[in-house]
Amino acid sequence: MAGEDAKTVTLTTSDNQSLKVDREVAERSILIKNLLEDLGTDGAEEIPIPNVNEAVMKKVLEWCEHHRKDPPASQDDDSDSRKKSTDIDEWDQKFMQVDQEMLFEIILAANYLDIKALLDVGCKTVANMIKGKSPDEIRKTFNIQNDFTPEEEDQIRRENEWAEDR
Amino acid sequence: MAAPLNNPSAFTTPSYLQAFRPASSMNANRFDEGYSEDTRSQTGSDLVMRGEGGLELDLQYSLPDWVLEMSEDARSEFAYAILRSLRTSSVAGIVDKLNPLLHLDPVKQLPPEITFQIFSYLSPETLLRASALSQAWRIRVIDSSLWKLLFRLEGWNSNFGVVRQYEEGERQRRMELRDRERKRRSRAAEDKDTEKPSSKKRVRERPLFGDGATEDSGWGEQHSLVEADEGSGLKPDDRMEGIAYDEASPITSPTTESSRRRKRTSDPGEDDLALLPALTSTNHPFRPSLLLPTFEPKINWQYLYKQKRRLEENWDNGRFVNFQLPHPKHAEQAHTECVYTIQYSGRYLVSGSRDKTVRVWDLDTQRLVLSPLVGHHASVLCLQFDERPEHDLIVSGGSDCSFILWKFSTGRMIKRVEKAHNESVLNLKFDDTYLVTCSKDKTIKVWNRKELWPTDDAYPLSTKKSAARFPSYIIDMQHQVENQHLHFRPLPPHTLIMTLEGHAAAVNAIQILDGQIVSASGDRTVKVWDVRTGACVRTFSGHTKGIACVQFDGRRIVSGSSDETVRIFDRATGAEIACLQGHSNLVRTVQAQFADLPGNEEDLEAEARDVDRNFFEAQAQGLLDEKMTREQRRARNAGSRDPKSIFAFGAKLPPGGGGSKWARIVSGSYDETVIIWKKGADGAWEKARVLYQSEAVRAAGGRPRRPVAHANGPPNAGNQAQNQTQQQNHQTFQALAQQAQAQAQAAQTLAQQAQALHAASQAMQPSTGNGAASTNPSAVPTPTNAAATGSQAPAQAAGPAQQTPAPGPQQQQGAGAAGGQHHHHHAGAPHHHHHAAANHAAGGGGLNAQATSRVFKLQFDARRIVCCSQDPTIVGWDFANNDKDIMLASQFFGSSV
Repeated sequence: MAGEDAKTVTLTTSDNQSLKVDREVAERSILIKNLLEDLGTDGAEEIPIPNVNEAVMKKVLEWCEHHRKDPPASQDDDSDSRKKSTDIDEWDQKFMQVDQEMLFEIILAANYLDIKALLDVGCKTVANMIKGKSPDEIRKTFNIQNDFTPEEEDQIRRENEWAEDR
Repeated sequence: MAAPLNNPSAFTTPSYLQAFRPASSMNANRFDEGYSEDTRSQTGSDLVMRGEGGLELDLQYSLPDWVLEMSEDARSEFAYAILRSLRTSSVAGIVDKLNPLLHLDPVKQLPPEITFQIFSYLSPETLLRASALSQAWRIRVIDSSLWKLLFRLEGWNSNFGVVRQYEEGERQRRMELRDRERKRRSRAAEDKDTEKPSSKKRVRERPLFGDGATEDSGWGEQHSLVEADEGSGLKPDDRMEGIAYDEASPITSPTTESSRRRKRTSDPGEDDLALLPALTSTNHPFRPSLLLPTFEPKINWQYLYKQKRRLEENWDNGRFVNFQLPHPKHAEQAHTECVYTIQYSGRYLVSGSRDKTVRVWDLDTQRLVLSPLVGHHASVLCLQFDERPEHDLIVSGGSDCSFILWKFSTGRMIKRVEKAHNESVLNLKFDDTYLVTCSKDKTIKVWNRKELWPTDDAYPLSTKKSAARFPSYIIDMQHQVENQHLHFRPLPPHTLIMTLEGHAAAVNAIQILDGQIVSASGDRTVKVWDVRTGACVRTFSGHTKGIACVQFDGRRIVSGSSDETVRIFDRATGAEIACLQGHSNLVRTVQAQFADLPGNEEDLEAEARDVDRNFFEAQAQGLLDEKMTREQRRARNAGSRDPKSIFAFGAKLPPGGGGSKWARIVSGSYDETVIIWKKGADGAWEKARVLYQSEAVRAAGGRPRRPVAHANGPPNAGNQAQNQTQQQNHQTFQALAQQAQAQAQAAQTLAQQAQALHAASQAMQPSTGNGAASTNPSAVPTPTNAAATGSQAPAQAAGPAQQTPAPGPQQQQGAGAAGGQHHHHHAGAPHHHHHAAANHAAGGGGLNAQATSRVFKLQFDARRIVCCSQDPTIVGWDFANNDKDIMLASQFFGSSV
């Protein structure tokens, strides 16, 4: 890397806004990191992020900024086979206190930009919104239309009884 | 970008989206998890407004261009200004309308791979609840791969090989069916094409198939005939399978499963249709079935998960059926004397007995697969087999100091290694590379399984760096490296490659895993050895008497001892992390399954550190007594994390050994019981259930072993047992005589075995004799007596012909050594009262005290416990409890838990 300037990159969002960020911050996104490596540039040209708008991108970058010094995500992706905990650290919890639309947009952006830790936090946040609620409460939380007939619902409930004991 | 499926434009049209968000949300400090009051309006306003140009569609007024041209912030301010101009009731109305827009359905907003991740954080219970929210949720939640993950996250094992095999078998079968269907159709099509063919051909063919009726009916009949032929070609098979397996066994092959399904369909004409993809049962639209309703056959993991849970519930509630080997209808196939060792895998079980034979059983039919394997000159004490074609091997060892290799599939003896040890071969284990044997002669020997070159990885590493003894033909490769011209010769298979010495008494049990040999000895220690160097890596002590059995899973060593306990040691540090007390006699056999969650090593270590920290904190706060009471010391710790019960610290495993809540230990003892251990709330192992070998025999429809029970007529015997009783009434005299002999022999053998187990502890007893140990000898009948009593009661009935065999030198020897054992046997009096009552054998005290069903060896898997004992009959507990679904699913579960 040559000089201080090389350490920033400019991202162009779907709504054509340019955001200038530290390269280290932007590289929390594996997509951007790989892109920069492939381009082999000093980050001079703008990087288009056509699937994320400015508001969401700013939010995502806020997260990346806070986590810029985190160790990189482990490549041995055995997270799927690990015991799942929905614990979220305090800062992330606060960060995720947004409206549902923004929450889902952050999740989608994290998925697209390949920021695994942010995707994890987002998914955990949604999981926590489902945990410990009755079906009606969950329906209200997410404005879910119940399209089962009462008979069907009853059938499902009875079929699920095997798991109710513990 | 992975946009939501049903609303692809939602995230590419931010200007619309943001139109509905208060400007303040840009600051992102409002956490919205409240409830929308109204869930009806989403389809109306929300979705329409989200569509392209939907903004205008939903509103009565389209916004003028100058408004749309305003920036987000300006528009927001403008809207606020308009709202402020309204009456409160109007504002409330708008808020009501807007509220549902703040609550979005993630299943509609997010693609399946993301909801998959979200759901993977949830418990099965929560997920099932979520499956009833809506059709769309149900589809995402009842996802086989999600449940496959959940299955794994429980720490359960599954047999992927069997899953693949089953899917492949089903695929082939469907392909054949489709082929047949296609042929039929194309033939039917040909018929149509040749509606007006040359009448010559018709005329020529008609007589073959038709009966001279109209052309059409003639052809029609041909088809129905062909169909019928094909159909009947299948059906006799079905019937045969039905008869052979329906009673005794779960379905084991796709064919049997399909035949079962076919039987369910009432209309035989629908057979083929029922076989094609739509395999879901129509009776229960929401009940998972084994196969997914997909074109390509795929196992439904939700089904497997559900059946596994139901199976576990049967374990917890003690719901099982008993079975025995042999099947009561084929009692003649039984071993004629006590059975020392068993192993089972898949549908096969192999047993070794004092009757010198090895027998191979089919667990499904409960009958012998081969005639007994004859070759040992004395009792068969240990064996291992691998039925997979690439191995096709049984290895058995015994009192004749030799071990024998047999071809599993044919029972042919491949090789006998005479004088493998100087005394009885007490246990053996093999992996792909090595065969390891251990003996009463205090040594462990390692043999190569395949031809071995000095340059092979498996070849002993160095002949100098350990205390192991190497045969002269083993060369020190490190020494030979410079010698370029050495002509190496390979060692032929089953050559002795090293002898491990170090135990001070008989080596009773052995394990080999990942290049480590774990041995348990009468000298009260467990040792771990490096199989390449022969070095003893670590010695584990803790047991206060000889150790009879050991199991090693790479992290924990679980051992059962004559001190009546099962203990768990941390392999890495040597710490004793649990001591399970509950048996009232020598623990002869144990198997543990910790159901580890994938990749939980670090978690376990962290847990262990937490426990340590709590312990030291409690100690610093003076919460712990400086000295433990004698009771505490004796009670040890069964795995509790309470600082007051902590015995060892610095271990890499938490007290109890860690593992998931499905962890299970099953132990069998000379107290004639099998104990199932589970972890309680505080992590300590608890007796979850006590099973009695003798009760199992009776429940399995077998011949109760105690003569008294015969005489009285078993009160709860089934038909078979009753028939047998009648039969036996004629033969009582003879039977009793035989039993007496068998028992006398058994007692003698026990004494021999006991000698191996106790030689060392016996030797040490005088020096430790200040506690309970020294108070007993006077009360204890000498083992010789015990052995004699064992045979006397029945012998009396049988007459003088069955005298106790003259105590040879060996028996006397054994008798001396068995002292501790018999003492404990009597010490377990409370249990025996219970046992006696259960057996309705509370007749003579002598008979009562006589052990008839000491458990020698057990094995369990996800579904069954099988054990062998002094009783020549092998018994099992099947926790599938005759449930068809559980039996069907069980074939896919791993061999342990």
